[in-house]
Formats: sequence, structure tokens, C-alpha cells
Amino acid sequence: MDSQINLDFNRRPSSIMHIDLNSCFASIEQQANPLLRHKPVAVAAYDTPNGCILAASIEAKRLGIKVGLHVKEGRLLCPDLIVRTPDSDKYRAVHIALKKILSEYTPKVVPKSIDEFVLDFSGTPSFQKGMFVVSREIKDRIKKEIGDYLTVSIGLGPNRFLAKTASNLHKPDGLDEINETNYREIYQSLSLTDLNGINKQNATRLNMVGIYTVTDFFKADIPLLRSAFHSILGYYWFLRLRGWEIDDVDWDTKSFGHSYSLPKPLTTPEELAPILSKLVEKVGFRMRHSDFQAKGVHIALLYKDHQYFHEGRSLDQPIFDSRDIFRVAMRLLRHSPYRLPVRNIAISCFALSSRSTLQLDLFHDNQRKESLVAAIDAINDRWGNFVITPATMANTSEFVHDRIGFGQIRGLI
Amino acid sequence: MIQKISAPVSVQLIYDHRLRKVSPRQIFWDGKAIRVAEVGMHHTVREGRTLFHIFSVTSSDLFFRLKLDTDNLFWTLEEIADGLPN
Repeated sequence: MDSQINLDFNRRPSSIMHIDLNSCFASIEQQANPLLRHKPVAVAAYDTPNGCILAASIEAKRLGIKVGLHVKEGRLLCPDLIVRTPDSDKYRAVHIALKKILSEYTPKVVPKSIDEFVLDFSGTPSFQKGMFVVSREIKDRIKKEIGDYLTVSIGLGPNRFLAKTASNLHKPDGLDEINETNYREIYQSLSLTDLNGINKQNATRLNMVGIYTVTDFFKADIPLLRSAFHSILGYYWFLRLRGWEIDDVDWDTKSFGHSYSLPKPLTTPEELAPILSKLVEKVGFRMRHSDFQAKGVHIALLYKDHQYFHEGRSLDQPIFDSRDIFRVAMRLLRHSPYRLPVRNIAISCFALSSRSTLQLDLFHDNQRKESLVAAIDAINDRWGNFVITPATMANTSEFVHDRIGFGQIRGLI
Repeated sequence: MIQKISAPVSVQLIYDHRLRKVSPRQIFWDGKAIRVAEVGMHHTVREGRTLFHIFSVTSSDLFFRLKLDTDNLFWTLEEIADGLPN
């Protein structure tokens, strides 16, 4: 590692592109309904006063409305705020259409979330055309083929981190590059928390070793960065800031989970059971669809007074049937020492293995169970989710709506 | 104001083979023929194996969300909105 201490900025031409669909959910709503264009629009989990704002239109952002505010707070800032609830299918349709366009330029297209893609153009014919030419062409095609109200910010760089940083420089509709000729100037214009991955806590860590600006961060040597992060992360940041690739990692699926913010707080395990059952059905269906089984179940409960309970259990045998997952989850739920109104409930299955290695059980007929579960999944797949459900899930149609998470998305296409 | 409806509706649909485009031209709703001014978005959704086409369209002052069931080619009006705060 010592030999790399004087590593220069990467001189490789910018072949990485980061694309970010501006104000994604809100812009798509404005695209679908032209009467909403040029107006402050927010997409919120619920349109009730305590609903959490998930996305704000460019016009709403200008009035100070941000992701995470409650609808009532948004309305205090802008009484004319138009609030819509999420329409996940619409957002998926735009994501898929965007991916289709991008895939025509390079085979290396990685969706980072519903509204972000990373493209690697190295070795492709498109790269010969010039990255700025291709970027403008992509922007034009999005307007013509997906929607004329949609804009994207594009960042170019020699690595993923700098491409992402460049995409944040001008919003909306930006097109910027960070390379060896302009990185010093751009670093001077940014604060530490402008960097993706540096939150307030990390900025404090850096401050404690005398790093206050991005330029300080860039100039810091590896021992200083190691003393700030106390881990390999310091070395990774040393490379990232110099344009060397460290984030081209394809993470395996480690778990399947679902969470739900309850519109009205429920307290007892019996009250929570139907919602837990529906979450389990969703998790189980997705896990089996990806051909996994799990040897662990975890639940987490956030209470109205911000108390938090979570517990996981590792099992002797892998499970795949939603009924088995529910049984374990209910046991964990009853372990909670609190009897308080629950605000958020989450369940996940971990310790995954392939279902192709189904082990025969001496006391239970796993193959029979497998056939039954496969038949139920096939019926639900043919007629739509939740045609056949456990009785415990009765009367939950208004709960646990289809939602898109903020992070990486899998199995969308 | 948004009004969720889910009611059968009559729709006149045009297919232009030169532009390779399909778009609703007129909606017959509440005893009135409403001309479609703009198609904001067209996307598809699957419920089970049934494919639905969703058209988000506007007249001069109203928004309509129209759903075409490709199993029976029946239309449903799912939503009307006026683009004002709810």
C-alpha cells in the first residue's frame, strides 16, 4: 500500500456516466398529468397530514419542500401544494423505458435505484462518439421517447464516485464532467457533506483529524485517512478522490425484507398479526421467486414513542414456506418486552441458500410442502398477487401497498 | 382535487400506422363527449397474467386515467382530477 501513497489523479478519459432522473416520482406525476406541470407537487406515502413526503417537484423544492417532511409541514411552506400518493407501476414503467434506451449505448448498465443508473462506456463504439455527444443524445431521446417533461442530470468521470458527484453539480438537467483538468477547482467548490457517502458523522470524524474541506480530504495521506476512519475505508476514499475505481462491486443478495409504516398505531401481537402475515407473504413470494430459502428470520418494531425492538433467529433447517416464516416471526413478535403502539414493522429473511439443495426431512414431507407452495405461487402469479392468502391476512387490502424502496432495486425487469 | 372512480367508460381510440402510435381521441363520460387534448403518459401494468394499458390523458381542464383490459378490451375510468390542490 505504501507504494501507492503518491498516487496521481487517474488520467483515464471519463468513460463512466451517472444518470439521475430529476425529482423522479414527482416529475413522472407531472409528465402523466400535464395539469400538474409548473406547479408545486409532492408525492407522499399517504396524503394525510402526517404522510411522509417521498419526492418533491422542482417547483416544490424551490419553496423549501424536501423529502422526509410531513405533508402538513409541506403545506405550511406552500398552502397550494398538490399531494399525490405513489403509483409504483408508473415509476417502474419509466425505469424500464429508460433502461431500454441506455442499453442501446452500452451493455454495462447498472440500475442503482429506481431513478439512477451507472453506465460504463469503456470499449464501446458509443465512447468513440464522445461522451458529451452521447449524453446530449440520451437527454433528447428521453424527452422524445419517454416524456417531454422529464429531465436527467448526467455526470461523467473516470470512476463511479466522480460521475455521481458530477451529476449532483447542476440540477435539474445538468451535464458535467470531473476529470484531471478540473477536479481541483470542483473540489474547492464542494463541502465535505456534498460528497456521496460523507454524512455529518463522517464529516466530524474527518474534522477530528484536521480535514475540513474536500481539498484537505484530497490532500490527506493514507495514514491520516486511516486514523479518521479506523478502517480500510480511508484507503478507499484515497482512491475514490483520485478517480480510481473502488465501487464497481456487485453485491450478492443477502436477505429479503419488507417494512411498513402503519397509518394507525396497533399495539398487541394479535392486532399486528394480519399485517405481519401480509409482509411475510410478500417476502416469501419474492424469496421463492428468486429461488432462495432462508435459515434466519428477523423482525424489527419501531414504537410510537421511538422505542425500538428487534430480534432475529437462526434456524436448524432452511424454510421457504410463508407459513413457516410467519410462525417464526410471530414468536419473535411476542418476545418484544414493550406493549406500546407500533409505528413501523419490518421483517426480513436472512442466511439464504439456493432452493435447489432442498434437504429431505425425516419428520416432515418437504416435497409435498414444496408442491403446495409452488401451486399457490403459480395461482397468485396467474391471477395477481394475493388471490390465495392465509386467513390471518384477512381484511388487509388497505394495508401494505406496493412501494419502491430508495436503495438498490432487484428483480424489476 | 382527485376523484377515484373505477367505472366503465366509452373511449374512442385512434391508431396511426405511419407514426406507429395509439392514442385515445375522445371520452364519453357523464353524458358528454370530451376531446382528449394531450396524452401525458401511456404505460402497462400486469395483474396476474392480464395486461392492462393505462393512458393518462387531459382534456382542456381535466385529467383522466383510463385503463384498457386487454383480455376483454373494456375500458375503465379510474380517476378524474383537476390539477388543483386536494
